Amino acid sequence: MMPASREISLSLKEVVKTYVMGTDVVHALNGVSLDLARNEYVAIMGPSGSGKSTLMNVIGCLDVPTSGTYHLEGQMVARMSESQLAELRNRRIGFVFQTFNLIARATILQNVELPLVYGGVGRSERRSRAVSALEKVGLADRMKHKPNELSGGQRQRVAIARALIFNPSIILADEPTGNLDTKTGDDIMAILDGLHAAGQTIILVTHELYIAEHAQRTIRLRDGVIESDMAA
Amino acid sequence: MTIATDIRESLRIAFDALRANKARGVLTTLGIIIGIVAVVLTMTAANGLRNRFRESFSAVGTDVLYVSRMPWVVMDDFFLYRNRPNIELREARTLERKLRGKAIVNPTINGNRDLLYRTETMSGVDVIGTTDKQTRMSSAQPQSGRFLMAFDVLYKRHVCVIGTDVKDGLFGTVDPVNKRLQIGRTRFRVIGVMEKQGGSFLGGPNFDRQVFIPITSFVRVFGGDHGRTDVMVAVKAPTQEAMEDLEYTLIGEMRKIRALRPAERDNFSVNKLDTLVGSFNSVMGVVLLVGLLVTGISLFVGAVGVMNIMFVSVTERTREIGIRKAIGATRRSILLQFLLEASAIGLFGGLVGIVLAAILTAVINAVLMPASVSVPIVVLAVAVSISVGVLAGVVPAYRAARMDPIEALRYE
Ligand SMILES: Nc1ncnc2c1ncn2[C@@H]1O[C@H](COP(=O)(O)OP(=O)(O)OP(=O)(O)O)[C@@H](O)[C@H]1O
Ligand SMILES: [Mg+2]
Repeated sequence: MMPASREISLSLKEVVKTYVMGTDVVHALNGVSLDLARNEYVAIMGPSGSGKSTLMNVIGCLDVPTSGTYHLEGQMVARMSESQLAELRNRRIGFVFQTFNLIARATILQNVELPLVYGGVGRSERRSRAVSALEKVGLADRMKHKPNELSGGQRQRVAIARALIFNPSIILADEPTGNLDTKTGDDIMAILDGLHAAGQTIILVTHELYIAEHAQRTIRLRDGVIESDMAA
Repeated sequence: MTIATDIRESLRIAFDALRANKARGVLTTLGIIIGIVAVVLTMTAANGLRNRFRESFSAVGTDVLYVSRMPWVVMDDFFLYRNRPNIELREARTLERKLRGKAIVNPTINGNRDLLYRTETMSGVDVIGTTDKQTRMSSAQPQSGRFLMAFDVLYKRHVCVIGTDVKDGLFGTVDPVNKRLQIGRTRFRVIGVMEKQGGSFLGGPNFDRQVFIPITSFVRVFGGDHGRTDVMVAVKAPTQEAMEDLEYTLIGEMRKIRALRPAERDNFSVNKLDTLVGSFNSVMGVVLLVGLLVTGISLFVGAVGVMNIMFVSVTERTREIGIRKAIGATRRSILLQFLLEASAIGLFGGLVGIVLAAILTAVINAVLMPASVSVPIVVLAVAVSISVGVLAGVVPAYRAARMDPIEALRYE
C-alpha cells in the first residue's frame, strides 16, 4: 500500500558509516539508500549488529554519514555544523529510546519541557505545551513525579510526550518496547499507531514481528545493507 | 535559544545538581570558604588598621614639620644618629625668631613622669612641656577649661592640661579643673582637659595619655636646658603648599644655627606625618601580602577541588549529557550549564565564607580593634568566588560540551 501523499520527508543515498577500531574497519552502514514520504510508518528489522541503531542515529542527526547524502525535508544534513544538527534534533526529530532516557533528577513535567527550553520557548508557553503533551499520553496527573516513581510503560509514555512536544517531522523509536512486557508494549504501540493516524511520520526499530506488523512498511537490514524493503 | 533563557535554565539545573549533592558541595567548597574568609579578613584588617591609624594621628597635623634629634622612623643604622647633639631650647628660640612671619614655631620637651591625685596614681605618663601655640599645631582642642596661654609660659606657672585617659585614670567622674595633681614631686593645677584623640595605634603614642605643662615650667622643675633635655620643634606651614619650601628654609636655618659646613651632613632630622604614613604603609604592605598569599593558596586549593568535583559531575552525568544533546542541547548550552554549576559552587562557598568572616570580624571588633565588613569587600568576595568557580569549571565544562552524543547515550 502506498502512502496517500508522495511528499518526500527524508532521503538517503548510498549512505556509508564506517567505524575504525584500531586496525579493524567496521562498515556499520554500507551503502544504504532510502526514501521516506510524509506520514509513513516504517519498521526496521534485522539481526543484532546489522546497523539498525546506526541508521537511526544518522536519520536522527546524532551522527553524520562517512559518505553518501542525507536530506531531511529538503535540507542537506551531511555537512551541517554541530549547532545546526542540534537545532534539527531539537525541532525536527523526536527520539524514543529502549531505555526511556529520562533525566532522573528532573520531574516528568521538566523532562517534557526540556526540548522547549533548548528551543528558546518562554516559560508559560512551555508549561502549557508540556501539560497538553502529557495529557495526550494520559499522564497529566503525574507531572510533579520523578521518573523513578513511574512504571516502565509510564516512563516510555513520558518519553513519547517529550518526543512530540515540538511537532517533529519524524519520530524515531529504537526498540521502544524492548524493555517492556507484552501488554505494556501493546499500550505503547497503540499510542504510536494513534500518532500515525494523526499524520505523524514514524520509524521504529524492533526485533519482534508482531511489533513490526503495526507499521506499513518493513525494511530488513543485514551487515549494513538493505536486504528487503516491503509494504505490509 | 537566547542567552538569557540559557542562563536562567542553566542556573536552575545547576542549583538542582548542587542540592542533590549537598555534602559533596560543602567539602569541595572548603578551599573557597577559607580563601574568602582570608580575603575578607585581610581587607577588613587593612581597613581597620588604616582607620585606626588616621584616628590615632589626627592630632598630628599634616602641615607640620617636626625638627628633632632622631628621625621618627629609622630606616638605616641607628648608630649613625647616636652622636647627634640634643636640640636645645635656645636653638628652638633662635629658629622661632628666624622663621617669624613664615611659620608658627612651637618647641616641646617630653618626659615620662608618675602622676598622683589624692590616692590615685598613674605611672609613666607622657608629660609635655609646650607653649600656647600647641593648639595651633593640630586639631586637638580642650573640651573643658582652657589650654595654656602665653602668660603661663612667660611666668613659668605650675598649671597643666590633661588628656582624657589621664582624667579618667586619676579623677574618674570628678571634674578635674582647678584640682591639683602631682607630677613627679611637684604640684600642678589642672586648667583644662583635652578632647579625646582616639587612643594608641599599635603601641604608638597615645595622645590621650598626655599632660601638657608650660615648657618653661618643665625646664625649671625637671631640669633639662643646656643639652640635658632634647627639644622637639614643631613648625607649622601657613598652607599645605608651602610645606616643601618651608622644609628647605627650615633645614637651611638649622644648619646655620648649628654652623654646619657644606660637607657636613645634617645632625638633626625633619619629620612629618608622611614619614609615619610611609612606615605605616610598609606594615600594611606586609599584612596585605600575607593575607593575599593565604587567600591565593586557599583559592587555588578551592579551584582544584571545584575542578575535581566538576569532572566527577560531568562523568556521572555523561548519559544525561547525551540525552540533552539528543533533544537539542547545543554545545554552548551544555558548556554554559556546567560553567554555571561551577560558579554556583563557587558562589555558595563564597557566601559561606562571607558569613564566617563576618562572624570572625565581629569577634575581632569585640576584642582587638574596631573592624567591620564593608559592602565593597563583600562585592569583591562574591566576584572572586564566582570567578574561581568559573575558572575551575572551564575544562570540565568544555569536556562535557564536546562529548559525542551517541557515545554519551551509550554510557552505562
Ligand atoms: N561507536 C562505534 N564504534 C565501533 N563500532 C561500532 C560503533 N557503533 C556501532 N558499531 C558497530 O556497528 C555495527 C552496527 O551497530 P548497530 O548498533 O547499528 O547495530 P544494531 O543493528 O542496532 O544492533 P542491536 O540489534 O544489537 O541493537 C556493529 O557491528 C557495531 O559493533
Ligand atoms: Mg541497536
